[in-house]
Amino acid sequence: MDNFIELKDVKKTYVVGDKEFNALDGVSFSIPKGEFVVILGPSGAGKSTLLNLLGGMDNATSGTITVDSENIEKYSKNELAEYRAENVGFIFQFYNILPTLTVLENVDIVKDIVKRPKSSKRILEDVGLKEHMNKFPNQLSGGEQQRVSIARAIAKNPKILLCDEPTGALDSKTGVEVLKLLKKQCDANNGENTVIIVTHNALIAEIADRVIRLKNGQIDSINVNKHPKSIDEVVW
Amino acid sequence: MLIRKMIRDIKKNLSQFITIFLMVFIGVMAYSGIEAYMDGMKNTSDVFYSENNLQDLNVMGAINDDDLKEIKKIDHVNDAERKLSVNATTDNDKTLLLNFIESNNISKFYLIDGEGFDINKSGVWLDEFYAKENNIKVGDTILVKYDTLELHERVLALVNIPDHLYDVRDSSELYPDRKEFGFAYLSINEITEKYIKSKVMNEANIKDEKIFDYAMPNFNYKDYIYFNTLMVDVDNKDNVDKVKNKIDDEITSAKAIIKIEDSASYVTYQGEIDEGKTYVGVFSGLFLVIAMLSVITTMTRVVKNQRIQIGTLKALGFKDRRVLLHYIGYGFYISLIASILGLIAGYYLIGNFFISLEMAFFEIPNGHPSMNSTSYIVALAVVLIVALISYLTCRNILKENPAETLRNKIPNVKKNSLNITTKGIFKKMNFSSKWNARDILRNKMRTITGVVGVASCAMLIVCAFGMLNSMDYFIDLQFKELYNFDYKINLKEDVSDTRIKELENIYGNNTSKTYGIEIKNKDIKESNNIFVTDANEYVRFVDNKGKFIKVDSDKGIYVTYKLAQTKGYKLGDKIEWHIYGENKYYTSEIVGFNKDPQNQNVTMTRKYLESLGIEYKPDSIYSNQDLSKTKDVDGIDIIQDINALEEGMTNMLSMMKEMIILIIAVAIILGAIIIYNLGILSYTEKQYQFATLKVLGFKDKQIKKIFIKQNNWIAIASLIIGLPAGYYLTDWLFKTAIEEHYDFGASIQPLTYVIAAVGTFVASYIVSRYLARKIKNIDMVSSLKGNE
Ligand SMILES: Nc1ncnc2c1ncn2[C@@H]1O[C@H](COP(=O)(O)OP(=O)(O)O)[C@@H](O)[C@H]1O
Ligand SMILES: [Mg+2]
Repeated sequence: MDNFIELKDVKKTYVVGDKEFNALDGVSFSIPKGEFVVILGPSGAGKSTLLNLLGGMDNATSGTITVDSENIEKYSKNELAEYRAENVGFIFQFYNILPTLTVLENVDIVKDIVKRPKSSKRILEDVGLKEHMNKFPNQLSGGEQQRVSIARAIAKNPKILLCDEPTGALDSKTGVEVLKLLKKQCDANNGENTVIIVTHNALIAEIADRVIRLKNGQIDSINVNKHPKSIDEVVW
Repeated sequence: MLIRKMIRDIKKNLSQFITIFLMVFIGVMAYSGIEAYMDGMKNTSDVFYSENNLQDLNVMGAINDDDLKEIKKIDHVNDAERKLSVNATTDNDKTLLLNFIESNNISKFYLIDGEGFDINKSGVWLDEFYAKENNIKVGDTILVKYDTLELHERVLALVNIPDHLYDVRDSSELYPDRKEFGFAYLSINEITEKYIKSKVMNEANIKDEKIFDYAMPNFNYKDYIYFNTLMVDVDNKDNVDKVKNKIDDEITSAKAIIKIEDSASYVTYQGEIDEGKTYVGVFSGLFLVIAMLSVITTMTRVVKNQRIQIGTLKALGFKDRRVLLHYIGYGFYISLIASILGLIAGYYLIGNFFISLEMAFFEIPNGHPSMNSTSYIVALAVVLIVALISYLTCRNILKENPAETLRNKIPNVKKNSLNITTKGIFKKMNFSSKWNARDILRNKMRTITGVVGVASCAMLIVCAFGMLNSMDYFIDLQFKELYNFDYKINLKEDVSDTRIKELENIYGNNTSKTYGIEIKNKDIKESNNIFVTDANEYVRFVDNKGKFIKVDSDKGIYVTYKLAQTKGYKLGDKIEWHIYGENKYYTSEIVGFNKDPQNQNVTMTRKYLESLGIEYKPDSIYSNQDLSKTKDVDGIDIIQDINALEEGMTNMLSMMKEMIILIIAVAIILGAIIIYNLGILSYTEKQYQFATLKVLGFKDKQIKKIFIKQNNWIAIASLIIGLPAGYYLTDWLFKTAIEEHYDFGASIQPLTYVIAAVGTFVASYIVSRYLARKIKNIDMVSSLKGNE
């Protein structure tokens, strides 16, 4: 399973006014199943664009994206929705949790879309929100809110977890806790879960199996870490 | 820079700003248009009445030269003029009310075409509407017959007269038939010597003219011309009562003195104004309120959605005042333009439309809408309210510190407001219901506006259709239940008793007599009439619930429920009254009540009348024989076909129906705009959350369902409120707002509720469906970037 995720010459072109702009300009790489991948790059490099394409939230202008031997670029809208529901967990910088639902309900919501979700209460316990289960999101701190969104993503038991600057809005201590949760998810399920994290914090690269660097919409470099450090080894 | 930002923001929120524009425009237009119509009605008649010197009093009776001199001498009397008014028939069987006059300084002619009055001119000054309907022009000659008098008259002029805005042949005919009935004025000199002489000979029972000439060698026919009406012009309205009492006391030939405010023409026109003021005032006020509600919510949202920008502007160092002014400008300019256009459209479209409807009905020149200060004040107030709302909303945001404003991307959820929804029945709800319930709680103002708006529309629709239902009900009641005859024969006033007997033998002895009376209520005398029935089952009576009752007590009088209610009469009360033209007072006990949709009066049996010592001499005979071809019968004034009467009533109401249809149309437009506007608001606010759901893997269909659910709830809640409210509004309009002599109430068909409910719900559903289509196009990537 070397090519669990495979991109071939992926381009994403935005038209602004009468000018075309390639946010992704011929990106190709592959990721084996179960890896903990970090995507690095300066602001505007196309990291989020790439993640959105992987998550089936947007379509590439050209090229193919294969996940688990399926070309998701050929998917219809409904198939994409199913793909997102069954395969992908998303975590954003700004949490994106529903403000009118309680913590538990925000996680429970996945029951409406996933056939075999994990127990919401168990997960909330795992992410340390047991006490806050019946609170509304705005009664929580930023780190707690991010943990809700992680819990929601994990509850779907997704094969792929996509995180767009998950620690960007958090202080470093909370950030480390969040990273631990993500790593734990990656190792769960016999190490079959793939986690892809977008960040501009180069330190995170040290714990990754694979580091992909982007620059101006193109691959700058891909490094495979034979011996990634554990989170506790890194000096934050 | 800020101006450029404003223009961009307006472009970005175009649909909201279009809504604000339309709502302000429609609200102000409806309100000011109706005002312009009502004030125009009043203004038009005020001008006509004063410029053409409408009389203040009509004195009925044979007023001779001495009486006239006496009356002219009374304090505060400006002038007085006599006329002889009689109904005459033309050669083609139309009826003309002929008025023979000596001068024309009171109730002056308004010349549409032709020449002014001169006693020495021979010819007629003819009713303009009648002439138009019958294609008569100045210079044509018409033939009229009155009694034995046959007059060939040249049409000298077509005129409008302030005393004749509305004329019907008989009071049971409500809708003027201008083709069949009109008025005409002539010089008194047109009454010939031959006619007067033969009349006098007839009265003296002299057959031979020679004998008469011999008996009365100094006979001057002019001394025998009689007048039956006198018009009095009083210097000041405050003195009318004084003059009235004085004439009552001093002029014995004055049989009845009637204020102009009680005359049919005046009352009907004024009634149109009063009725319209309440009816349409209520509707236009409601429109304005609904429109403002939705403007306010929209404006609040537009400003609230700018919280990040507000925070940024502030963080950049803009002074609060600049920021406030910037946001006030948003609503101010748009509502100012909408308001001004609303005023203009109100005057020219709505005002002119209604006035021209009215001017086809009332014969009055120079009808025009008229704008008064209330409209300007309302229009200005609307603009200020919009500005104030922007100011208040913006100020609230400015109060926070900029860091806070910027941090809270999502508007705060009030901590405790949602707590109740985590318990009880809420717990058992599924996700979408829970989410919608909380969304409603979070956006109370938006929800309330939605419910009020949609409920009002449902209410207006129920009310409008309900009014049509109720009118139909009362037409049926009047013409199928109460009037149980095919023809009503009106007898001539001077018909002899023997002739009445003969007529009764031909047409049946189901008769009635109506007396004009005055009821003494403490110190005031109130005009009314008594209907004396000997009509058996031909005229029937009902109680409050529409069940037939017998009016058969010979011990006292029956009064209508509404009369009893307004005057405070109770069963067993005694009232004092006298017949117009007679001084003797009678005291009668109230023995029962009846409901009459058209007339609030007193009813008694023939037997009771006779027990008071009054001779019963019918003025009407009711018959079921086919009298459609009968005419020119001696002693009969006119024969009325019940179907024609019903048609008259229907015609009368048809104008109201046109207005109602207009109201329904505006209600539906408003309703659709409100539903659409709130739909867009709630959609935009939820878009960010929908995007999140989409990212999680929810299918478009599932999200659509969630969205439509809330709108359906609102529609249902609105119907629960709106339908009963529609009933009560209709009832209120009929009970309290309608002219005093009517007694209507709401009588609404179930179908009306069904139409209103289905109509409102379908409109709401279609709008939701339409907006839900947008969910398909939510771009997850950009939606999640920023949540404005
Ligand atoms: N909807 C869009 N329209 C036009 N340009 C866009 C759009 N989204 C992103 N871009 C541009 O594409 C480039 C990559 O954006 P993004 O993937 O968000 O960068 P980052 O690596 O910081 O996450 C940026 O230069 C951005 O300006
Ligand atoms: Mg990014």
